[in-house]
Amino acid sequence: MKPKVIILRGTATNCDIETFNSFRYVGAEPELVHINQLLAGGKKALDYDIMAFPGGFSYGDDISAGKIYAVKMAKLSRDFEKFIKGGRPVIGICNGFQILVKTGFLPENRANKQVSTLYTNDCGHFIAKWARLRVNKASPCIFTKGLPDEIDLPIAHGEGKFIVEDKGELAAITGRNLHALTYAENPNGSMLGIAGITNPAGTCFGLMPHPERNFFAWQNPDRPAAAREAEAAGYQFFKNAVDYVG
Amino acid sequence: MAFRDGAKTKKYRNLFKETIVKATRTLNRKWCLSVFTDNAGIVEFGKGGKWGLAFKAETHNHPCAVEPYGGAETGVGGVIRDILGVGLGAKPVLNTDTFCFGRLDGKKRLPKNALSPERVMRGVVEGVRDYGNRIGIPTAAGGIYFDDGYLLNPLVYVGCAGLIPVDKIDKKVIPGDLIVSIGGRTGRDGIHGATFSSANIDEETSASAVQIGHAVNEKKALDVLMRARDLGLYNAVTDCGAGGFSSAIGELGSETGARVRLEKALLKDTRIEPWEIWVSESQERMILSVPKGKLKKLAAILDAENCEYCVLGEFPGDGRLLVTHGEERVVDLPMAFLHGGVPNFEKAASRRRVKISAPAPARPTAGYGRALKSLLAHPNVCSRHSVITQYDHEVQGGTVGKPLQGRYGDGPGDAAVIWPQAATLDLHDFSGFAVSHGFNPAIGRIDPYQMALQSIDEAVRNLLAAGADVSRTAILDNFCAASPRDPEVMGDLVLAAEGCHDAAMAYGAPFISGKDSFYNQSKDADGREYPIPLSLLISATAPVEDVRRALTINFKEAGNPVYLAGATAPGMGGSVYNELRDTGNNAVAPLDMKAAVKLYAGLARAIKAGCVAAAHDVSQGGLAVTLSEMAFSGGFGADIDLAPARRGLTGTELLFGESPARLVLEVAKGREAEFLRLVKGLPVAEIGYVKEEPLLCVSAGPERFFTEDIFALKDCWKRELI
Repeated sequence: MKPKVIILRGTATNCDIETFNSFRYVGAEPELVHINQLLAGGKKALDYDIMAFPGGFSYGDDISAGKIYAVKMAKLSRDFEKFIKGGRPVIGICNGFQILVKTGFLPENRANKQVSTLYTNDCGHFIAKWARLRVNKASPCIFTKGLPDEIDLPIAHGEGKFIVEDKGELAAITGRNLHALTYAENPNGSMLGIAGITNPAGTCFGLMPHPERNFFAWQNPDRPAAAREAEAAGYQFFKNAVDYVG
Repeated sequence: MAFRDGAKTKKYRNLFKETIVKATRTLNRKWCLSVFTDNAGIVEFGKGGKWGLAFKAETHNHPCAVEPYGGAETGVGGVIRDILGVGLGAKPVLNTDTFCFGRLDGKKRLPKNALSPERVMRGVVEGVRDYGNRIGIPTAAGGIYFDDGYLLNPLVYVGCAGLIPVDKIDKKVIPGDLIVSIGGRTGRDGIHGATFSSANIDEETSASAVQIGHAVNEKKALDVLMRARDLGLYNAVTDCGAGGFSSAIGELGSETGARVRLEKALLKDTRIEPWEIWVSESQERMILSVPKGKLKKLAAILDAENCEYCVLGEFPGDGRLLVTHGEERVVDLPMAFLHGGVPNFEKAASRRRVKISAPAPARPTAGYGRALKSLLAHPNVCSRHSVITQYDHEVQGGTVGKPLQGRYGDGPGDAAVIWPQAATLDLHDFSGFAVSHGFNPAIGRIDPYQMALQSIDEAVRNLLAAGADVSRTAILDNFCAASPRDPEVMGDLVLAAEGCHDAAMAYGAPFISGKDSFYNQSKDADGREYPIPLSLLISATAPVEDVRRALTINFKEAGNPVYLAGATAPGMGGSVYNELRDTGNNAVAPLDMKAAVKLYAGLARAIKAGCVAAAHDVSQGGLAVTLSEMAFSGGFGADIDLAPARRGLTGTELLFGESPARLVLEVAKGREAEFLRLVKGLPVAEIGYVKEEPLLCVSAGPERFFTEDIFALKDCWKRELI
């Protein structure tokens, strides 16, 4: 049986289709579901094996990035909590990470309280470029398993600066190696250069860079002429999720 | 129109039809699916005849001069709607933008109320960024050109390309269909936007003629359209652009007539007059022709996507346009009058005389290396990274040929190569397409005919350098000119249009869509008319059979031989070098189109065989700039000996001249014999080797021009424009 992936979208979720394509390529059965369909009860989150929050500008990123989407999810928080606590894989990419932070699902805490945020980049505006990332081999994150020490992925965000309210929270992240990905050269001012964090179980993961944009070797700017090798670093994130439930 | 050229006079009834459209008709390429009729041109895409590629470019100059941020946003939004409104709707997969601004370091005094070029540039870049990023379409091709001719009238060209299933290209309003408006609401923004765009800009100009953009509303409309299209829920669609409802409904109902009840329109502002509702250019509105029985299904999708809509009336089939607001009759006219009753104006055109002199250009006094560094730092040559990185140029995951490429992800790509996986949903089909541009008003000041030829040549060459199949190039023309009342402005236009015709014929590259913009002139600080130079943006696209094999510009491996393709010709006219140090030589090296077409066919064979590791065109700044960019983008040096290309040229012409139809190629080691066999008889010469040591050493036989550290060259080039 192919694992069923719910790819959650809403107004101006822009990276839903490439995320859909990526999951399908690694052998899953993805489905695009609008948050309105969950709210209306036509679809149930718990009917799926894997959940993905793609990148984009959900609801224009008005108020702050991912905030409106997070508010819409609040009515269904019991289902989402069950999904995550039940250990089913959840990945939030870029705007999806922002949503997971604004809902309080990441960093994980008992009350689902928002304890961190992704704030406006230090440069003050949107940036799209490739970034070198360090993979934390000690992290429990299931999505980054088997990756080399360093990988390249593109970033594309205006609000990617990961900050937490108090130092204790940061120690809780680093102490348990929840920071699965860090930037080699900090592009946005994130604390400790954090690019992605997971819950302690390793199953709920949010990251600012876009693995679906370095899925194949020919998506890399340093592509050798006539690149023939297929899968690149980003492929592993999706494959890992499918392998985990399979 | 009568064109006077010395003693001769040539008459045109319709200049564009007799030049640009004529070339397309004569070429009659079977892969052209729709040209000059719909909101965008459409060509075949990929294998199996399943898809069409729609491509359109237009300008939004006047709004950007007055309100750069809003003008740029609504420019982007407008051209995206053209793609959404072509056929039954195409899925946008690429945005392009090309800007012309006054020099940031210009000395000319600005008139009262004019915005500084820096302020215009910042506003325009932010507008393109905020609209394109929010709507999720990669902005991955274009350019920025600085020239004081654009100080008072900046140009903002916006383009969009999208994919459409071939069975969704035809649209037809059926009598009885409902007129449904979806997306944005109607307000008082953008009243008279269309007429404003052909007026002089002065202190009387009001910013209320500029529309207000809202990318998220357009994304909702996009998401609804793609779903409703595939379910066949409407018979026709078009966008509300200039003229708003009046032109969109007028266009769709040209045969059936239309019955419109303006009181049904969803409004932003209740104080709006009925005529204002009819002509308002409020953004993000699409008009659909919906069979009555399908409205319910369509409404369900609209509601699910939180997209507002209203039913404005119906297409009755009686050929009359009847527009009412409650009891009030606003318009009651036969459609035939509206579509056929345009008066024709007679215009005069005459050839402008330019004195050409061609002395041998002198050696740069500070040496060739210093001159190269100044060229690399020139605003029309230097890096655009600070602008490009503000655009999400990789959303949709299909930007295979990137605007920034190479070992450090910052080399200047020649063309965008797009793999439209977000439209085809097929990761096992590697069909893609490339998009590039050609633009050179500096040549146009001297010779508008050569400008047209060489802009088309540059666009084709850029496609070739990215590994596209240039035998199937399709092109768009976008002219911007000053006042059509000036015979010399019209004379330039005639010559450029003739150039477009001749180049399209020679390259076998049909025009599939085009647009022009006039009255790009304003009064300067002294009250004198200050026109822009004639500006022709050529946008070109060609298929890339396998995106995995698309080429990049950066040197790949030490020891690989470097070749120069194409003959270097004398003449410094239109060159960036002349702007830095006027050589007194303003001769434009003419383009030999026959030779170019033959050369490109040979190079295409070599690229297809896999002999070529990197390719880059020779354009602004000349050969030395091309070599520098290939070297520092790859992190390699090179030993270059230009003796085989010299042919009696001075060092300045050889290194910094911009004669057309030339590329530099890096050939893979061990493939040279095969490469040479494939380009036999063509002007292709080996000029050196890539080397590990990061030094670019260029000489011609015994004469050493310069040896420069590639990272020092890069430091000059990588300026922060913004």
